[in-house]
Amino acid sequence: MSATLAVSRGERSRLRADVTLAARILAPTWPIETFIAINPLGGLEDQPFADALATAAEVFGARGTLDEAAFRSAYRAGRVTDADLHGALARRHPQALAMQPITLGGRAVTPLELLLADLLHGEPAPPPRRSCATLSEQIAPQVAGTVDAQTTKWCAAFLDAGQAGWAMPGRELGFYAAWRDLAPRDRSLPRAVRERLQTLPEHPEDAALAALDALGVHEGERRDYLQAHLARLPGWAAHVRWRSEHRAGIDLVSYLAQRLVYESELLREHETALAGARVEQPAPRTPSVGERALDVARALGLGEHVSAAETTDIAQLLEGVPVSRRTLVWLDAYESHHRDPLLQRLALPPAPARTDRPAAQLVCCIDARSEGLRRQLEATGPYETLGFAGFFAVAIQFRDLAGGAASALCPVLLDPRNEIHELPAGGAQELAERRVAGQRALAGAQEGFHAAKDDLAAPFVLAEAAGWAAGPLAAAKTLLAGPYGTLRGRLHERAAPRAPTTLTAEQGFTADERALFAQVALTMMGLTQGFARLVVLCGHGSTTENNPYEAALDCGACGGNRGAPNARTAAAILNGADVREHLAARGISIPQDAWFVAGEHDTATDRVTLLDRHLVPAAYHAELDTLAADLIEAGDRLSAERCAVLPGAPDRPSPRQAARHVRARSTDWAQVFPEWGLAGNAAFIVGPRSMTIGLDLQRRAFLHSYEAAVDADGTALETILTAPLVVAQWINCQYYFSTVDPVVFGAGSKTIHNVVGAIGVLAGHAGDLQPGLPWQALADGERLVHEPMRLLAVVQAPPARIDAIVERNTVLQQLFGNEWVALAAREHPGEAWLRHTPRGWQPWTTPQESAR
Amino acid sequence: MSHDGLTKMTKIEVVVAGADASAVRELFQTTGATGFTSLSGVSGLGHHGYHQGRLLFNEQATLELLITVVPDTSVEALLAGLRPLLAESSGVMFVSDTYVSRPEYFT
Repeated sequence: MSATLAVSRGERSRLRADVTLAARILAPTWPIETFIAINPLGGLEDQPFADALATAAEVFGARGTLDEAAFRSAYRAGRVTDADLHGALARRHPQALAMQPITLGGRAVTPLELLLADLLHGEPAPPPRRSCATLSEQIAPQVAGTVDAQTTKWCAAFLDAGQAGWAMPGRELGFYAAWRDLAPRDRSLPRAVRERLQTLPEHPEDAALAALDALGVHEGERRDYLQAHLARLPGWAAHVRWRSEHRAGIDLVSYLAQRLVYESELLREHETALAGARVEQPAPRTPSVGERALDVARALGLGEHVSAAETTDIAQLLEGVPVSRRTLVWLDAYESHHRDPLLQRLALPPAPARTDRPAAQLVCCIDARSEGLRRQLEATGPYETLGFAGFFAVAIQFRDLAGGAASALCPVLLDPRNEIHELPAGGAQELAERRVAGQRALAGAQEGFHAAKDDLAAPFVLAEAAGWAAGPLAAAKTLLAGPYGTLRGRLHERAAPRAPTTLTAEQGFTADERALFAQVALTMMGLTQGFARLVVLCGHGSTTENNPYEAALDCGACGGNRGAPNARTAAAILNGADVREHLAARGISIPQDAWFVAGEHDTATDRVTLLDRHLVPAAYHAELDTLAADLIEAGDRLSAERCAVLPGAPDRPSPRQAARHVRARSTDWAQVFPEWGLAGNAAFIVGPRSMTIGLDLQRRAFLHSYEAAVDADGTALETILTAPLVVAQWINCQYYFSTVDPVVFGAGSKTIHNVVGAIGVLAGHAGDLQPGLPWQALADGERLVHEPMRLLAVVQAPPARIDAIVERNTVLQQLFGNEWVALAAREHPGEAWLRHTPRGWQPWTTPQESAR
Repeated sequence: MSHDGLTKMTKIEVVVAGADASAVRELFQTTGATGFTSLSGVSGLGHHGYHQGRLLFNEQATLELLITVVPDTSVEALLAGLRPLLAESSGVMFVSDTYVSRPEYFT
């Protein structure tokens, strides 16, 4: 008996391992309320980028780059040039490029000319097609559709986070047990299927194994088959993967068990016998090298005059650049067109070092949107700005004044262990109580309104009681979004007045932790001397209306939340006398007159709010007022800059007009483009501000401050490369893949989104949970606002130091070695940029520069 | 070596990337292990070169050591899952005899 038991447990264990390995194609996706940008192919980062794209094409049928038509269109628009393509071919296919010229029609034609002709005029490669299909997809697509519909129905019911009127019965038992209990009563299924569902085994592994057996899937084929099912609805599967890591009563084994059971049982009912032949879809047509050679000859004006021998010579050359790799050449060229000029601009002589003390220092998040604010503030007055991850090195669980569930405010790479509470400031107890009571009353009214809408009878009463006001209100929200937003804000303020508060920074961290945090943060950003009297730690968030993707616009370094609590905690710590003593003992002397202030940048309105003014000594108030005024001016200018690219924004507005426009936009419930978020992100620059000051980087670069001179052992750089860079790469890949394949990796159009279970959105009323970014976060109609390029990391530090860091961190070996991220470095300003390659550091030059 | 009064069991130690640790923990639990110990941010030299230890702001990119102790009857079931998992990961596994004073804690 025990032997039988052991074999059975071993089989279950083996199945679990197969599911784990099959699920490597999925990156876990977070609930939409804390949307975290991830690399949808994160599980494939141990493979070269090109191989991962091939896997994604096979498993998901996904496109991994823009298609050739889009690249050729970019070429015609001058976004890619012959020189870019030449450079890309030299890097990717040097042997083909080095072949001898071919004589065609009496003229020697170089390999470059021939390869360019193929890239520009060759028959395009066919779109990718999913080749790992489930049995039902192959022989009974309607059954596959039913399996998907059932999956969506039960996952939405089980994972609901409070949106549904009725909770799924038995949820506390876990997904498989609850589904096993309810599924036999589902009258949408044939009676015979319902009867068989009554005898499902207790363990999901046993149900899955029996279903696999019934489907004729042998052990050697099992992992691929499981993967086919996971890839059928990758949005749900990826979210279940995230849930399974958070002990939510569901895992991929139970998810797959449900799908496999449905498939095997429904196929038994289907006319097509399981033994029936699978319908093989014809393979998509890929042009042969011979056909490509003829295309090239025609493109070169040789028409039909090319001989068979000449065609063979061309074909031999083209074999060196397979048709499946052409888009990678295009991508490389497309990236170079952005990267080469960027590095040239970064090679300009650095700005002279500041000799006077800045009026204030503003430490912003590395988020690309901060670049605009920093640039505009620096143009406004004698200010200095720095970049640092927006959680300011304090990974916290935060509970606000109203209490309730704590939020994890830190990168998802970390598990926060320090809990911070918001408490009324001294003497503000009564005001704080009014605020909490007001917030609860407003939340209760809102909840009551929505509950009434969802009730069976109450909507009729609600329409009678409130219908007269709802129409005019909706009209005001739509037609007068700005004034309506202002009025609503004032009413909220009256109902729940602001109250001065403090955070429990001293209680939430031990003295040692506070000291360590302060030292790490200042060293990482290179701010170890030259402190201004005011140093503002500026987190960020985004205020938008009726936007399920609001968290995607908040701070990624704060786990998809607003960053103010982190900035407030960090400022409180850095103002601590004990912390400053510790820092002084380690060579970081913060002048007695330097004061840290928290702030928050609203990226939808370009307003920076300086926080906790009641904690700032009166001696700084005049300077704080000046800074606040300059921040308004900088924000207005930034709004004007952003209006140039926001759809429907006024043409060439004054800064004041622009500010009014973006404020109205942020409160407009019908606005699908509240801001562009991180669209356009393309580079991650690590170095002092002197590298970038004065350059308009168009809000496309993550800027992390770093001074190699104060980081001799490389600890700070290692932290920057293994955490902020990783988060930036996730963001970059999320934008990249959502753009190149919005159907598989993105979220389609916002206009048909339905929020489901408060966990994500569906396109329409059924189907897959949409895993990525909506099209309106990436493009305006057909015009791409996000140019899909892999991240370029630019680091000003000794290359040997970078090498040592990469050598001991697998994550960096994969990112750089497998071409997920490109890396450029130089030790000192004025030196030439170097390119990180598998053959070591090489000069970052184009072929034309090399020839000179 | 005398182990009077102790009960023989099997200790399984697994070193995997932090990203794979949850799958190993899940296998431990679903095959009947009553508990485990985990050490995150372990460093060392292995087949893939040197691995950095604790990173300040990334707990997923470092290696994790997971240790569990199970009765001999559970070993094969657990290994049936761990073997394929580790065959395709950069992790390693050590299986050894061990002796415990409170066997009821492990069954």
